Amino acid sequence: MSITQPGTGSALRAALDAARQELRAEIAAGAGGGVALERHADRVDALLHQLYVDAGVPDRPVAIVALGGYGRRHLCLHSDIDLLLLFGGRIGPSEERFLRAFLHPLWDVGVVVGHQVRELDEFVELEEDNPEFLLALLDARHVAGTPALFDRLRELFHTAGTHAYILRALLTLVEERHARFNATLYQLEPDVKEAPGALRDLMATRTLAALTDPLLLRRGPADPGRFEEAEEFLLRVRSILHLESGRNQNVLSHELQERTAEVLGYPGAEPRQRVERLMSDYFRHARIVSRSLEWMRRAAPVPVGPNLGLSRDGIRFLDPVRAARTPASWIGAFQAAIEAGTEVTDEALSCIQQHVERYRAEDFAPEPRDRVALLRLLRPRAGLYARLSQMHDCGLMGRIFPEFDAIAWRVVRDFYHKYTVDEHTLLTIRNLEWLLTKEDPTRERFRTVAASLSAPELLVLALLLHDTGKWRDDEHAPESVRMAEEALDRLQLPREARETVLFLIRHHLQMSLVAFRRDTDDPQIVADFGRLVGTEDRLKMLCLLTLVDVEAVSPDTLTPWKEELIWRLYVDTYNQLTQRYGDELIDRNQAGMMELLAGRPADLPEAEVARFVEGLPQRYLQLFPREAIYRHVRLARDIRPAEVHLSLEPSDSVWTLAVVTLDKPFLFSNICGVLSSFGMDILRGQALTNPNGLVLDVFQFSDDERFLALNTDAHAQVLHVLQDVVSGRVDVTSLLRGREQSVLHARSAARVVPIVRADSGASDRYTILDIVAGNVIGLLYRISRVISRHGCDVDLVLISTEGERAIDVFHITKAGAKLTEAEQRALTSDLQGTLEGPQ
Amino acid sequence: MKLIKSIVRPNKVDDVKDALAKLNISGMTVTEVRGHGKQKGHTAIYRGKEYNVSLLPKMEVEIVVPDSIADDAIKAIVQAARTGEIGDGRVFVLPVLESYRIRTGERES
Repeated sequence: MSITQPGTGSALRAALDAARQELRAEIAAGAGGGVALERHADRVDALLHQLYVDAGVPDRPVAIVALGGYGRRHLCLHSDIDLLLLFGGRIGPSEERFLRAFLHPLWDVGVVVGHQVRELDEFVELEEDNPEFLLALLDARHVAGTPALFDRLRELFHTAGTHAYILRALLTLVEERHARFNATLYQLEPDVKEAPGALRDLMATRTLAALTDPLLLRRGPADPGRFEEAEEFLLRVRSILHLESGRNQNVLSHELQERTAEVLGYPGAEPRQRVERLMSDYFRHARIVSRSLEWMRRAAPVPVGPNLGLSRDGIRFLDPVRAARTPASWIGAFQAAIEAGTEVTDEALSCIQQHVERYRAEDFAPEPRDRVALLRLLRPRAGLYARLSQMHDCGLMGRIFPEFDAIAWRVVRDFYHKYTVDEHTLLTIRNLEWLLTKEDPTRERFRTVAASLSAPELLVLALLLHDTGKWRDDEHAPESVRMAEEALDRLQLPREARETVLFLIRHHLQMSLVAFRRDTDDPQIVADFGRLVGTEDRLKMLCLLTLVDVEAVSPDTLTPWKEELIWRLYVDTYNQLTQRYGDELIDRNQAGMMELLAGRPADLPEAEVARFVEGLPQRYLQLFPREAIYRHVRLARDIRPAEVHLSLEPSDSVWTLAVVTLDKPFLFSNICGVLSSFGMDILRGQALTNPNGLVLDVFQFSDDERFLALNTDAHAQVLHVLQDVVSGRVDVTSLLRGREQSVLHARSAARVVPIVRADSGASDRYTILDIVAGNVIGLLYRISRVISRHGCDVDLVLISTEGERAIDVFHITKAGAKLTEAEQRALTSDLQGTLEGPQ
Repeated sequence: MKLIKSIVRPNKVDDVKDALAKLNISGMTVTEVRGHGKQKGHTAIYRGKEYNVSLLPKMEVEIVVPDSIADDAIKAIVQAARTGEIGDGRVFVLPVLESYRIRTGERES
């Protein structure tokens, strides 16, 4: 039967009236609880389904979805009918016709419809400005239309992120609502829908459980049966209020209390007695609801990741069955625990322990993002040791790293070690964590080194694997390297990172050997050690590894005496690497040269590669991977005096600019000036010059103003300007005019006191200029401009930044010689003035 | 008996031990110490900033030997620990009045 055809509009009214009449009768009999309301909702469903059929099929698929209380099938007599009209595509004339045909008959018969019209694509993004709508969507129920569309809605809607947002919004809404009632349930005329302990609280309790851990409902302060009794009672009362007032009225006023008590059949000779009994029951039920909600608010885990919740006892799996099937998600639990400053719950650990043997090492990090997550977990910070220990205890560590399993509870008898090898290993990581997180003035110098590491997780990875070779009784470092190679194969680390980790493991005893057993006053010993480590980053990591490794042997092993020796070797080697590398140049017999030549691509003749690298500092071969060196060789091809060859590439979050040209005055300053004129912040870099005057400058910079990301022709523009400035066609100062305040006259960050020191004794060929200053855009331009104004040539530069500090080491000469004392004084004084204030 | 107390460079301890072993002197006490003599520390520079390193790490090697071999022991220590540079250390020689073996309570002559 059609209920919307002309002349039959009254059929809809009649059908609706009939449904309502039936409900009225049940309410009047005191039975307007859950069962009656569900039946009523079913009848309204049928009406809506018929309306949908009569409205005609629109061009796009459509689904009629019940929301909120109606979605739960608790449709009270005068409640709004909350609906979502969901379309599978863009709403056009056909869909609008459908809406009119569907909604107008309902409006005509006076039904209050709370309707939302949406296209499915609108659910791709979270609708954060309408938390009530999102809450109502949790109870979404398909009524009519295309079921697949409804299924798609559920897929889009039910995500961990959405659940987390709703959870937070719900807690806020509860707070606000309670505040309107002075946060007490003991109201003389309570609103049975809104008041504390009433129906909304009841639903909030259920929602919290549904979004976090459904089992919590069974563990609350109230028996589940009593919770359901409370719901039934409140629904019956609300139904009576609707019946008696003839509208959507939910306040159990004094007048309506008498009538409600009568309908519900409370005994008592006087109305007052019946009312007292009714209200006594109301408060009993409201208290159960209220206490349940309070308990749930405390106990419900807050979603903190896919299938992960934060509860009072730590991070748990919201759905342990699902967790058991997805081992790749387990690492996330430990990551979340560290981030939240808590632990992984015993329950979650049991779940892992129970299932961990079913999986292979590869199953825990099968995708690139999982491997990135595993590395991120290893970043040293508060809680890392404790979480790794939990991973070890539940068997997860040994499955992810079977190499580590080989040293579990391993006892090596010697005079020094106090712990099993696995615990010694974990303690090294704890020591690194403490170094970074505990205030200890005596360790400040090492803490600064640790805080400056760009990839500290590689150090932790090296620590984790450095003693795995101790499962055998003979020399363990080579065996540790062999085992680590297998672990790193699985992790698929980038080559450079992999080589760093293997280097640290291979040489993890070397620094203590040199520091404690060799004469570090001998420059040759330090130079040899410097050649072994090659770069400052590796030196820093090996220094810290040595420190924490010695400390983890026993409580008394790392004495201030040993710390001092480690620090002295670190400083001497650091100075060797940054100040004396210019004296050691690449020649054809250089270690690494053979491999470089042998591995060259077909387009690069041997002579061309050799001509490019010979005469550059030996450090060059250690700093750059072979592929980068070949790219530099290509850049240098056919370079002429007025030319500049460039490449600009994004890598991770920074850009790398390589410039090859022939040396000329103000070259370095000009390049820095161009980068500053585009708002680029230079973070790291090298400037190298070979004896033929060929210059290779490599800068890594961040594009904080997103100039390169937002402008399609930015790449070409930067290259073009660089060409113009370096070749002398454009004056860089004209480019910087708009940025004069920030670049030319910028002060260093106030917390960093600038240090400028010149030394002509450290290197055979150069005056070394050490500069530490607050990092600001344009810093290098300002420094190098002063150096050039003093008639000095910038031959080599090391650029690094650590947080807000810039650490730059310039190798300079004047007319091919080191600076005199007087020239040094004049230059450093000028530089100090530049860095301390406006010129 | 003499107590010979040597302050040597950390990297020279093994050489000193080897030299003493050749004299059949194997019992010794080795302690990490810090201090300065004429060497008076030095100035270290790290990232342009000067640090005064006033107390330098050294090793203290203590042995107790019969008077008859004390001179040989001292010569061996000096020879093994010498580099010729400032900071090579010192050797102190003290008389020992009595010596007892704790395990047995026996007095040693």
